[in-house]
Amino acid sequence: MKYPTERATNRLAIGLAVLGLVLLCPARSEAYAGPGAGFAVLSSFWTIFVAFLYSAYAFLTWPVRHLLRSIRRRKAYGKAQIKRAVILGFDGMDPELTARFIAEGKLPNLAKLQEQGSFRKLRTTYPAISPVAWSTFMTGVNPGKHNIYDFLARDLKNYLPFLSSAEIRGPKRTWKLGKFTIPLGKPVIKGMRRGTPFWHWLGKSGIFCSVIRVPVTFPPEKFPGVLLSGMCVPDLKGSQGTFCLCTTRHGGEKFREGGVRVPITPNGTALHSYVPGPEDPLSGSSGGELRVNFEIRPDLGKKLARMTVDSEKFTLKLGEYSSWIPVKFKAALGFSARGICRFYLKELSPEVEVYVTPVNIDPGRPDLPISHPVTYSIYLAKLFGPYATLGLAEDTWALNEHVLDDNAFLAQCYANHEDRERMLFDALDKTRQGLCACVFDTTDRVQHMFWRYLEEDHPAARAVPPDQRPKVIESLYSRMDVLIGRVMTQIDKETLLMVVSDHGFKSFARCVNLNAWLHQNGFLALKEGKTESGDWFEDVDWSRTRAYTMGLNGLYLNLKGREREGIVQPDEAATLKEELRSKLHGLIDPASGRVGITGVFDCDAIYAGPYVDNAPDLIVGYGDGFRASWDSVMGKVTSQIFEDNLKAWSGDHCIDPRLVPGVLFSNRKIVDEKPGIVDIAPTILNLFGLPLPGHFDGKPLTVAMEGAQ
Amino acid sequence: MASFNPVGLPNSFIHAFRLDLPTGLVVVLSVVVGLLMVVVFRYTSDQKAIRIAKDQLKAHLLAVRLFQDQLPVVLSSYARILRGTGPYLRLAFRPLLFVIVPLTILIIQLDHYLGWTGLPTEEPFLIKAHVNGPDGLNTADLQLPVGLKTTAPPVHIPDDNEIVWRVVATNPGKYEIHVGSSDKTFAKSVTISKALERISLARLQGQFWERMLVSTEPALSSESRIRSIEVGYPARSISFLGLEWNWIWLFFVLSLVSGFLFKSILGIEI
Repeated sequence: MKYPTERATNRLAIGLAVLGLVLLCPARSEAYAGPGAGFAVLSSFWTIFVAFLYSAYAFLTWPVRHLLRSIRRRKAYGKAQIKRAVILGFDGMDPELTARFIAEGKLPNLAKLQEQGSFRKLRTTYPAISPVAWSTFMTGVNPGKHNIYDFLARDLKNYLPFLSSAEIRGPKRTWKLGKFTIPLGKPVIKGMRRGTPFWHWLGKSGIFCSVIRVPVTFPPEKFPGVLLSGMCVPDLKGSQGTFCLCTTRHGGEKFREGGVRVPITPNGTALHSYVPGPEDPLSGSSGGELRVNFEIRPDLGKKLARMTVDSEKFTLKLGEYSSWIPVKFKAALGFSARGICRFYLKELSPEVEVYVTPVNIDPGRPDLPISHPVTYSIYLAKLFGPYATLGLAEDTWALNEHVLDDNAFLAQCYANHEDRERMLFDALDKTRQGLCACVFDTTDRVQHMFWRYLEEDHPAARAVPPDQRPKVIESLYSRMDVLIGRVMTQIDKETLLMVVSDHGFKSFARCVNLNAWLHQNGFLALKEGKTESGDWFEDVDWSRTRAYTMGLNGLYLNLKGREREGIVQPDEAATLKEELRSKLHGLIDPASGRVGITGVFDCDAIYAGPYVDNAPDLIVGYGDGFRASWDSVMGKVTSQIFEDNLKAWSGDHCIDPRLVPGVLFSNRKIVDEKPGIVDIAPTILNLFGLPLPGHFDGKPLTVAMEGAQ
Repeated sequence: MASFNPVGLPNSFIHAFRLDLPTGLVVVLSVVVGLLMVVVFRYTSDQKAIRIAKDQLKAHLLAVRLFQDQLPVVLSSYARILRGTGPYLRLAFRPLLFVIVPLTILIIQLDHYLGWTGLPTEEPFLIKAHVNGPDGLNTADLQLPVGLKTTAPPVHIPDDNEIVWRVVATNPGKYEIHVGSSDKTFAKSVTISKALERISLARLQGQFWERMLVSTEPALSSESRIRSIEVGYPARSISFLGLEWNWIWLFFVLSLVSGFLFKSILGIEI
């Protein structure tokens, strides 16, 4: 039997569609297969189409790009002694502990690296604080030239602190519409670190760089390469990490810092709570907070809870973290902010408690730029799934405040660490020539929080018998050693591998309230009738105060003409500094008989550069076992100068920098005996054959080119 | 004759968009089917796996852009895009298994209404009969009701065992013609109308699948000498956005558009 050709085709198409055999044919079959098939076909073909469109573009422009690249690379690699440099940064890796563990045979890969190449102590910066040291690492200059002296800097107008590395302000212009204040434009993000990171010099010369999570790279700066910002990236609230404890318990003290308590309220068979978010952008100065509500349905029998957050539904077992959950904070008029957070089911009975991590900027849909180019954070999110973007992503405050226990904190640390390992190995794969630099924070956070178990008599661990103390730090170093081993298998002879830390670590058993000492020694005065002061010098009488401290190591004169209520005449400054130095140096802790302060350094002598005016006047170097007290850091004046540190945060490095050098491992022999972190940038530029900028303070290290030979 | 509206499409809708009934019907059906498809897709697919597969593809696309000056990276990204397309297609086609049968039945039924138009009056059309063996051609006979008439003697095509009559209708209506051979006579409907009607293109002997696609009438007896009776209805063309469409193409495009729209609104990964 015959039908007209058109009809026959149609019938054939229907028949084939029924069989599902011609879903890719350009006939009417797609229609019969329905939109489902259409979606699949269109989406995948669209991907391939875009890929090949880009290929065509790349192919057509290839000759020009190749020519330009050849010219640049000839220039770039013409004098290069290496094809690739891989720098693994382990924040806070301590040379003494490393040497000890190597000697005990616990770090075979670092031992191998030491044998093949070099292991040196690495001079750190004054002060030995991560943002300061890593800024020096990347710029090759002293803090007087990069303007970072601490996490915090002080506002001379009101003696209040602000974040030293970046400033985020609302948009310049707003439009008042009834009760709404509509922002016109994006928030203004201003980087405060000065100086040029060495990867900018490399990039400009045609050497590709992948830079991952190096501290103080927020906001990300443009350069020819890819960069994911690290320490100092804020959370969605704009803070450096504000966790949330949702609880049915009433009362409870306000957290000292870093967290908020949110009530869980019963609603029928379910419990309701919320994740506090950023300020409502439309509320103007009234500061309304945006929230994302969530529901908890506990199942006591199975020891789990069913959670509903927005459209996401998931089940959480007791003592378990969720994956990263997207949250959308909705304001009026269609404004919204997107973030991600993880939930941890802390308790189900008799009370219900859920810990929520700080709300991180969503790397897949960043509301603030956290990478260069912006698509790099998106690329990583697509490739590996959502990941922590907060600068200080490991929630040390939650452990300090006993909201998380040791295991929950470690689980969080290592989950973040695994994400970064994946990023590192992807960067290694993508950067076959050039620079690949990645900094891991885990070493710093874990040592801060678990040093107490290393010491027999640490005040923060007295309740735990020595034989029950977990070997967290030993295990941490072993884990890093395994990572280094994996990297070593992926590099060739033309690759320089450096393992760098910005500082080492020491015990933090005793707190020194320097403001208390200043008060008791007549340098700082309190208002009439006061014997102590609240946070940020609340009760300080500035008209009679000559010196004060805030932050971790800085000591400031209340200088006339500089501070708002300064009283110290500029010509008296040198004498006052000398007096402070002589009195503080060698300060003894009466309880232990140990030296609490081993050095006080005049910033006029240790810094040079255009930003020295922003520096503290003196840097206080605490002794081994001591650090600025928690109160002193926050501008509080107490009656006690020395006290025990009872917090889980039990190890530190914000002490005399001479006591906490970092590490430098290299797969090549390094001739220099006393390298400094300031020398890394010039060394890398030198190895790639680039001229060194004249303003560098560091000197290129002498590196042998044949490994152990 | 009253026009038939198989989905009860509101006339107000038709008028509001200045559409004729078939076009309006296709538009509404496409939107509804697009919505249903994404909902079915949501519940029958592995949304998480699809999201991951898509994200991987997007990541490799971004890699091509981010690392464009590194040829090995670009080439390996292309390879990964091609490799990743297979698993994504596999995941995206799974929901198809759940909808293919009902959707095919729906489309076949709609094709009876939308694929063909009724015949006009005063314009000749062909009626064909296929018979078993050349002998049947001589005994085949067409009986027309009042309102239809032949305009020429039948044409015998022995090579195809086919006999063709040219017929013209004088009045609109639903007619029943009879084609007989020596043993038996069979009826076949003929629709003379401008309205939307259910059209049966042919009456067939056996051939279940083919009958399902083109016929709405009972099968011819398997012992009969007549294998099929066909009426030459013209294919329907639908005007939309200044273009003439076959309804299935229009349905395909609109249901896709509506599906993509609804998937964004409902947050469904496809």
